[in-house]
Amino acid sequence: MKMTGKAFAKKLFGAKYERLPRTLFMDVIVFWGLYIAGFQVQIASFIRVLMISTFTAGVMWQALSSKDNAVELTAMLMLPYRRREFVFSYVGVLGAYTVLTKTGLLFAVLIAVSAWKPVDLVAMLLCMIHAVLMAAAVYSVRKYWYVGGLWTAVIVSAILCMTIPDTGVLSLDSIIFGNEILVDLLLLVNGLFAVLILWRADGYDFYQKESRKSHGKAYHVVRQGKRATLWRYFFRYLSCHKNYLLNTAVMWCVALVLPCFFREMTGLSVIPVGFAILCFNTPICILLSCDPDLEQAVRFLPGQKRRFCIPYCLFIFLCNIAADVIFLCSWRIQNGSVTVQMTAGAVFFALQSAVLSVLLEWFYPIRDWKIESDLWHHPRKYAVPVVMLLLAGAVLACPVLLYALLVLLVVEIAVLLFILNLQKRSLVLTLK
Amino acid sequence: MWHGKKKRTAREAGKMGDALLTIQNLSAWYNNEKRILLDFSFALDEHEVAGLIGLNGAGKTTFLKVLSGLLPTFRSEGIFFCGAPVDFRKQDFKRCRYTVFAEDNSFSYFTFWEYLAYVCAAYGKEVPNVSELIQGFHFEEYTDTLLRELSTGNRKKAFLITAFALKPRLLLLDEPVNGLDFQSTEYLYRQISGYKEHGTVLFSSHILESITLTSDRVFVLENGRIRQTFERGQINAEDIREALHDENDR
Repeated sequence: MKMTGKAFAKKLFGAKYERLPRTLFMDVIVFWGLYIAGFQVQIASFIRVLMISTFTAGVMWQALSSKDNAVELTAMLMLPYRRREFVFSYVGVLGAYTVLTKTGLLFAVLIAVSAWKPVDLVAMLLCMIHAVLMAAAVYSVRKYWYVGGLWTAVIVSAILCMTIPDTGVLSLDSIIFGNEILVDLLLLVNGLFAVLILWRADGYDFYQKESRKSHGKAYHVVRQGKRATLWRYFFRYLSCHKNYLLNTAVMWCVALVLPCFFREMTGLSVIPVGFAILCFNTPICILLSCDPDLEQAVRFLPGQKRRFCIPYCLFIFLCNIAADVIFLCSWRIQNGSVTVQMTAGAVFFALQSAVLSVLLEWFYPIRDWKIESDLWHHPRKYAVPVVMLLLAGAVLACPVLLYALLVLLVVEIAVLLFILNLQKRSLVLTLK
Repeated sequence: MWHGKKKRTAREAGKMGDALLTIQNLSAWYNNEKRILLDFSFALDEHEVAGLIGLNGAGKTTFLKVLSGLLPTFRSEGIFFCGAPVDFRKQDFKRCRYTVFAEDNSFSYFTFWEYLAYVCAAYGKEVPNVSELIQGFHFEEYTDTLLRELSTGNRKKAFLITAFALKPRLLLLDEPVNGLDFQSTEYLYRQISGYKEHGTVLFSSHILESITLTSDRVFVLENGRIRQTFERGQINAEDIREALHDENDR
């Protein structure tokens, strides 16, 4: 058990567990930064429970279904092992990874910005452990996905119901103070039930099925002609990664409902903030980071700065502008007319975000990630949206700035295209 | 015994006049603690097939990665392609070489035809007729299948067909035999041997047969240095095996 745990832990935390102190140090810095800033918000206990539970369970699920982990797991399952020891050490290490490297940051933020009692800390820790155990238990029985789904729905409903007072009406007091002890008890009992399921689980229950490959016969024939367009490649990529597709769909839903929230603030002309928020479709902006083989190929093939980066930039732009168009249509229906300035803003934020994302991906791809979950929560991934939010803030303060930014963007693109063209021309001359 | 036979040292090789690629005193590393390639000189002639053999960790893949422009952490006193100084990352050199890596999952959402068309466009070439290569590698069934859905061997075939169709002046193959079935391996040997008509092949392999059947020259790499070079006529499995055993004992 010790060796199994150690093998997984070294993969996730580094050979000398060097990632642990680094992450904890970051958490402490975030906590002190927010605490000293004195920024305080009132967060209902059930919101905290749901926030921590959902986040932890989501990250744990990502870790369990990670392709990189699958390789490690395959090698471990090939060796003889003791069923229970294997399952608990595997779940334990993945749980520790989830809680310490991912939920830890959320925990630091929550205790820095909201008032809490020592009992709340215990409740939050209980939430994390419960979420880890529940995610692992549901994952181990995922072939009966409907049971797992029902179980999750029942638990979430029970937590929500416990915060509703006897009158059956959701009151502010009940939301804030809730019935914490009952919720904690529910989490404890359900956690024990999850342990029972894991007790009966086998290592192979966590093993992912082989990807669909042709063994002797072509499996999935694509008859699309003999032309190569990267657009087709990107759309296939998007459609094959359901979480990326879901993220894009979620952004479009956000685009649909954002005008409702902005209705009250029309005087402030908050539209640019909406465009900046819609640039948060970050998974499509890390194509090279999450596919090292593709990165190797585009670096070793000639002319990829032009052949790869331009279509990639246009693809991100298309995804962003699609969300912006939905946003503007929704705005038009709910709040009135769409001006030329709004359209210009949509184009600027969608294109500037795409250009910056591609530049960042080309020059500073994310490397040395252990499993995909590290990649999806990497701070670098959010650099461009944060820049966009800052620009939106600047435009909010001074609307004329938008036109200056548009001119700058045109100059930026012209310079980039000029550099690419220059390289192409020098190559043609060399070949001649 | 290889000791008694005429061997050309790496230094001598570096001075060859009709060389396609000449590298002087190459060192490469991934981190400062350990150098993978240690100060060796190397030359490849036009229209030759050169085999690279060595034990695991000798530096074969690292060397091919340096030549492919994928490893920036290297140093050399001079790199010449057709007599002119060259940068492995410059477009003009890139267009003259193509590499098939030992493991490659790139462009996995392309089919073979799409990948071939994409690569040909990148090299500024028309898509050639590859029906013979497809037949030779028994790849007819898989040309319209996404690369991600192909088995390791079939994916390797897709990259090999692209490489031979592209006909670059310098073809780099990292363990090309791995994952191929018997018939395809035989066909690959014929392709490598016949490539001299178009250009030069440098390939690494652990399969002695692949080296002895195809190579004009064999470089034995040991601890980041070229220890020995066997010329055509000297190349036989026994001598190379002995050289490798000797390397292992050292």
